[in-house]
Amino acid sequence: MATSIPRVKEAREVLKKNKIVIAGVGETEQGKIPDKSSFHFLSLASKLAIEDAGIKKSDVDGLITAFSLVEHTFMHCTTFADYFGLRPKFFSSVAIGGATAVWMAAEAAMAIASGQAEVVLCVRGDNTLSGISSSGMVALIREMCHAEFEFPYGLTTPGGYALAARRYLHDFGATREHLAAVAVTMRKHAALKENAMNKEPLTIEEVMSSRVIADPLTKYDCSIISDGGAAFIVTTEAKAKELGIKNPLAYLWGMGQGYSHQYLTSLRDLDQIYNAINNSGQRAFQTAGIGPKDVDVAFLYDCFTITVLLEFEGLGFVPKGEGGPFALEGRMEIGKDLPVNTHGGLLSQAHLGAMHHVVEATLQLRGAAGPRQVKDAKVALVHGNGGIVSAHSTIVLGKEPLS
Amino acid sequence: MAENKTYEKPLPDFRPETKPYWDACKKHELVLPRSKTTGEFFFYPRAISPGNDMSEDIEWVKASGKAKVWTYSIHYMGPTKAYKNDPPYVVALVETSEGVKMMTNIVDCDPKDVRIGMDVEVVFDDVTDEVTLPKFKPAK
Repeated sequence: MATSIPRVKEAREVLKKNKIVIAGVGETEQGKIPDKSSFHFLSLASKLAIEDAGIKKSDVDGLITAFSLVEHTFMHCTTFADYFGLRPKFFSSVAIGGATAVWMAAEAAMAIASGQAEVVLCVRGDNTLSGISSSGMVALIREMCHAEFEFPYGLTTPGGYALAARRYLHDFGATREHLAAVAVTMRKHAALKENAMNKEPLTIEEVMSSRVIADPLTKYDCSIISDGGAAFIVTTEAKAKELGIKNPLAYLWGMGQGYSHQYLTSLRDLDQIYNAINNSGQRAFQTAGIGPKDVDVAFLYDCFTITVLLEFEGLGFVPKGEGGPFALEGRMEIGKDLPVNTHGGLLSQAHLGAMHHVVEATLQLRGAAGPRQVKDAKVALVHGNGGIVSAHSTIVLGKEPLS
Repeated sequence: MAENKTYEKPLPDFRPETKPYWDACKKHELVLPRSKTTGEFFFYPRAISPGNDMSEDIEWVKASGKAKVWTYSIHYMGPTKAYKNDPPYVVALVETSEGVKMMTNIVDCDPKDVRIGMDVEVVFDDVTDEVTLPKFKPAK
């Protein structure tokens, strides 16, 4: 599937020259936390990331936020700047669903490389579990599909993913066990993380016999909803040194996006999705000058079990249709072939887009992931997916500078 | 499929460019938009062809009403309270003989009997006085 992508060499030179790094991370408590607002979580996560970097709040001169599903704002980034008391030189709100967190890192890098800012705070937080109303939930389901040509048929969000899953099972002769194995792996990893919501052991049988939400997906094929915040700070190696940041740095080696469709109605076939994932991954890989075999730990957007298999295959870790057996054999677990989502992901840890995926990737490269540490982790990949496997973003991070 | 004034499920919110589609549905006709410049069908309806022609010159063509199930999901939970008594119901993405995909429900069929590749044909459900939704049932 590898094709040559324009301007990869130039992108590589920019990243090599600027040595863009993630220098600080923060995550608040995750769970059902009804006494905190969306902006409270954003503020706490920001504070934690600033403290983790050991810098002053006034050192931050760039801000990237996302959006809130609870507190609807006209301009999210500047609304938060006002609340938190920041006067950023560069500000932006990224709103591409689950592709957002990964693209925050990329957008921060572009802002820094073009001289707009030096220290960019990327933050997301929301009280989705406690704060979303039932009408807000209906509005969200409606916005996830085409309001005029899909929603009137009673399509739900899990249903959209179920449509992709059903076709995947059909095309590759994959089974429900293959999907369930992803949920089981995420649960095993979450059990090793203190700040995770669902840690009790889960078996393939339990996943398969749990309540069917949208056939072929059951309750445990679907991610959790949570309250919480997370943040990371993007800067350059030089600026990190100047500010006296002591954390081991995670270096940005490559980034890319890929687009398939917004509405499933516009989908030709599964290859359209695979190609979007692959385009996103290939731009990141080729910029980094590496391939899938060089990745030590992968973070894949797991809003539903099916997305992990599509992404794992689309990124080229295994051929199409072979992600399921790989998961079922336990090869995505810590200590095995290629650990995926060592923090437990959206399926078991918490749901804040891919924020925790980026945070955990950074911790893995620092060697600070505790009981979840992947031995000698030098290269991490993070992939986000927004919409119904619609919009994709990938970053590759390294323990050492890009050479 | 009688008129039902208390229909509480989500209804399509029409736009100027989609009106011919819904007007035809009301007359129990399925029409699909086609660019006159390229001769290519597209769906969902748009004011401008999504092809490279970017043409506003769009014609509405009577569709065959024949399609095949491309994928489906038996929903056990609906998106709103109005679906309380509906599950299990089938949401499907069908490919019409004209080559476009449509989201729909498969009706007049036990959900257990729906299969990918199954031949289906359009039926019209007059859900309110104003709105008729095209749905699909197993082809005869």
